Amino acid sequence: MFQSKFKSKKNEPMSNKPLRSEKRSDKWTLLLVAVGESRDRKAFAELFDHFAPLLKSFAQASKHEGWFPGLSEDLVQEVMIKVWQKAGGFNPEKASATTWIYTVARNCRIDMLRRKSNTQHLPLENEDFWHEPDEDTPVSLLRQARSEVKVQASLLDLPKEQDEILRKVYLEGKSHAEVSNELGLPLGTVKSRVRLALQKMQVLVAPEYRDELV
Amino acid sequence: MSKIKYHPDTMTLIEFSAGVLPPAVAICVAAHVHYCDQCRNELLRLDQVASQLMKSSGSTEISVDLFKRVEEAIDKIPEDTFNETFSPAEGNFPPIVSKLMQGNLQSQSWKKMSSSVEKATLKTGQSEYEVALHKICAGGKTPKHGHGGKEYTVVLKGSFSDEMSVYSEGDFLLREDGEEHQPTGAQNGECICLSALQAPIKLSNPFGFLMKPWLRINPI
Repeated sequence: MFQSKFKSKKNEPMSNKPLRSEKRSDKWTLLLVAVGESRDRKAFAELFDHFAPLLKSFAQASKHEGWFPGLSEDLVQEVMIKVWQKAGGFNPEKASATTWIYTVARNCRIDMLRRKSNTQHLPLENEDFWHEPDEDTPVSLLRQARSEVKVQASLLDLPKEQDEILRKVYLEGKSHAEVSNELGLPLGTVKSRVRLALQKMQVLVAPEYRDELV
Repeated sequence: MSKIKYHPDTMTLIEFSAGVLPPAVAICVAAHVHYCDQCRNELLRLDQVASQLMKSSGSTEISVDLFKRVEEAIDKIPEDTFNETFSPAEGNFPPIVSKLMQGNLQSQSWKKMSSSVEKATLKTGQSEYEVALHKICAGGKTPKHGHGGKEYTVVLKGSFSDEMSVYSEGDFLLREDGEEHQPTGAQNGECICLSALQAPIKLSNPFGFLMKPWLRINPI
């Protein structure tokens, strides 16, 4: 069922590929479920094929103090091992494979930086911070989660200055304060651009909706 | 439906989702999120954005033997380490707090702060913030006090009140540097909170030796 393209593809140069459609992104979710349920090695190889090059770009974008490009493949390796190990806990109704793997990558990156910079080791691991929505999460709230395709489309529509700041925060791993220093913008401007971007993408819950929940 | 009234602000959730919060603050956000459906879902949406940013930033060629290295590593993982679960240290305590406690409430080393408040510092391996559990006995009043830095609090059990409101299980509070408060435990039982107290950059008080225990912090 799952045909691995790994062997034929691994020697091809990777480039910026066009954004994938919803159906394709669905495919990764199915593959991740197969890994979780039946330890499917072929499915894992396909996931690796797709995600490893993306994860490497993510790793190389990091501007954290103490991070250097040589760590990029270590991160890819660590993330993919975690994916194999933790796939059983992945719930496709709550998050897509892409979102789930991003959270694994984010947390692995934090872990690696901590291991490098601290003599003391934080006695926590990535999954201690990551919470999946529980079974009792109201369905109305889950519906609020937008489809990835819509999120992707709205990203393309963002004004450049908002897109730039989101990328600095999420990909380069900078705090709002660090972005403010780097761009020479007041902290309030950085925060309001982030807020505007997420409001525009309809990611933030409208305040009136939040109030209903209290 | 959630009864939680106090949440981290959106900017804090964004920084949590991007993984750029100081670890001690991230621990408090993760603890709150354990109780809060609303923030958990907001985070899911923020993580979706992040994952799409990751996806849209392109691919980089990887080493030919990387998959083989990963396969070799996963062959060595014992099967029984998959899907480990962690039981709460107490009641409905968040897994992250249970893990830091490495035991139950009784096994923590509690230190008396005043007649009604005890504190047990948690080992987190960072020195920016002191992360601790605070126990306020039923009806216990604390002296009015401020701190030399930011103070994050998450209520884990019971409730307490101050001049402004009542805070119950899951509520997330941030007191800025210099804000004074006077928490009082609820009458109907003890209150346990998780707190992260920022290490003051410098103390200017010439009477430092008279300082209340509230200002002496010890991140471990």
